[in-house]
Amino acid sequence: MSLISAQTLTHRYPGDVLALDSLTLEVEPGIIGLVGANGAGKSTFLKILLGLLDPTSGDASVLGFDVRREGTRIRALVGYMPEHDCLPPDLSGTEFVTHMGRMSGLPASAARERAADVLRHVGLYEERYRPIGGYSTGMKQRVKLAQALVHDPKLLLLDEPTNGLDPAGRDEMLQLIRRTGTEFGIATLVASHLLGEIERVCTFLLAIDAGRLLRAAPIATFTERTGTLAVEVEDGAEALAGRLSSAGLRAAASGRIVLVEATDGQPFDTVRDAIDELGLALVRLEQRRHRLEDLFRDEASPEEASDDAA
Amino acid sequence: MTPPEPMAAGPAPGAPDANAGAIYDIGYRGYDGPRLGRQAAVWALFIASLRAAFGLGRSGRAKIVPFGALGFASLPAVVQSAILATAGPVASRVGPGITYDNYLWSSGILAVIFLAAQAPELLGSDLRNRVLTLYFSHALERIDYAMAKLAAMVVGLLIVTVFPLLILFLGQTFAAADLFAGFRDQLGYLPEIVGSGLVYALLLATVGMAISAFTPRRAYATAAIVAVFLVGQALQALLRQAGTGDWSLLLAINAIAEGVRYSVFGGAANGPVAGADLPSFAYLVTAAAVVIGGVGIYTWRYQRIQP
Repeated sequence: MSLISAQTLTHRYPGDVLALDSLTLEVEPGIIGLVGANGAGKSTFLKILLGLLDPTSGDASVLGFDVRREGTRIRALVGYMPEHDCLPPDLSGTEFVTHMGRMSGLPASAARERAADVLRHVGLYEERYRPIGGYSTGMKQRVKLAQALVHDPKLLLLDEPTNGLDPAGRDEMLQLIRRTGTEFGIATLVASHLLGEIERVCTFLLAIDAGRLLRAAPIATFTERTGTLAVEVEDGAEALAGRLSSAGLRAAASGRIVLVEATDGQPFDTVRDAIDELGLALVRLEQRRHRLEDLFRDEASPEEASDDAA
Repeated sequence: MTPPEPMAAGPAPGAPDANAGAIYDIGYRGYDGPRLGRQAAVWALFIASLRAAFGLGRSGRAKIVPFGALGFASLPAVVQSAILATAGPVASRVGPGITYDNYLWSSGILAVIFLAAQAPELLGSDLRNRVLTLYFSHALERIDYAMAKLAAMVVGLLIVTVFPLLILFLGQTFAAADLFAGFRDQLGYLPEIVGSGLVYALLLATVGMAISAFTPRRAYATAAIVAVFLVGQALQALLRQAGTGDWSLLLAINAIAEGVRYSVFGGAANGPVAGADLPSFAYLVTAAAVVIGGVGIYTWRYQRIQP
């Protein structure tokens, strides 16, 4: 049984806005990244998986349950962290997470115990007794994650979990997601427009653009080494590129970096000698990997791709 | 691929903040206990909403209006009971005093205040803070959420209407020369006490909740509820003065409630109902239409709302 499957899943919002365009995919448990620009259809996809939105056409199932007919059963097994704020300011973190536990059908005592557990797990300690209204964005994001975990779900759906967080907060949230997915074995689907973050925590990647699936593959295949060597030098990149070209290599300068095609043989010696002869200061020499941005750069329009990579 | 480690990972003790050393990370534990499902969730939401209706578990400020309404509504019953207890049955000859018949009509405005303040509290907060998304993504159905909230408002209003009557009940019982006989006499009024409270609570709650479901803004909902009750009251008085007949009485929610109470439980009619010459079915049918219509609009709204 696959974790999530969709067959020609299409959703059209009123006003003829096509959010999902015959999406077909099959996903196995793991930490799955769902990446795409804003408006690519990520949130719509999550809402359909939860049974909150009925798809216009096509089918989807989560944990083997049909999203149209068995929404209640899915929601009992799934934890959802929405993108937007969703916390009442007048309750404390403990009260709210306990309440949400009870909304999942946990008995009162179990809900209290689980709330204390998950709040500690997400790193809320003394603050959890204060009203949520006084929390920082980082603390609110933690409470949102805690309420998604309180009923020990089989699947976590996280919509832009690092939204509004500072760099340190992002690191902590990503670390939490990674722990939740790997140590506790809760399958996790993380929707994000930030490729760099997805890359750091996920094992499998779904890339969607304008409601269509661009690619679905293990993350490793996205970041394989390429045959390109990147040489960064202080000044003189143009001269170096010229030198290498005349030495028979395919090289091109862009800014301070010279990209050298390394498909045939080892150009390292040639590069080293050329730099030495020109008397340049070498900053960096590395084999280029595919980057997730390339995915969008290749298939989407260039402007969009640069937004994605932000 | 390895991110920096700002937090303690794995079984390492504690978190690297002020609590380091005090809290030991025993890792995540799964949950294998019972899952009670939808019914338990609805019941829990009902109880939580009823508590919220009275500001319980909230700040002191949240308790002012609900308990103020309850207190002021009970005040006449307390005073009369105190007079009965100290001066004895003499007081009953002073005037008609407070009876089960006229209490709810006289204190009706306090139930409306309770409704206008707390119905937007029960629904508006979840709309405004978008907590609704979370409710709808749990084991609850939309209709479950709506009904649990409505039931909490009905019971909340029932407390505000019935509690003062029960004080009156106790006052009358203890004022009797023979306590046991007094209790037995008063016991006969119990169906009327609960029944008339329920009539007011049902009518007020459905109207108030149907209005509150439409706006996340608390002030708008409160104003709209007050307007419906006050405008209805003023309009029926105006129209009847203009000679449109007694039917315009049915524009006022409280008058409908009073009419139903009078039709079902008898006793003395109060307010404009006393002077109006309307058949019982007019009150009963209007009340049923208001409740059914109100619940219909309310559930329709929650079925189609996009959280």
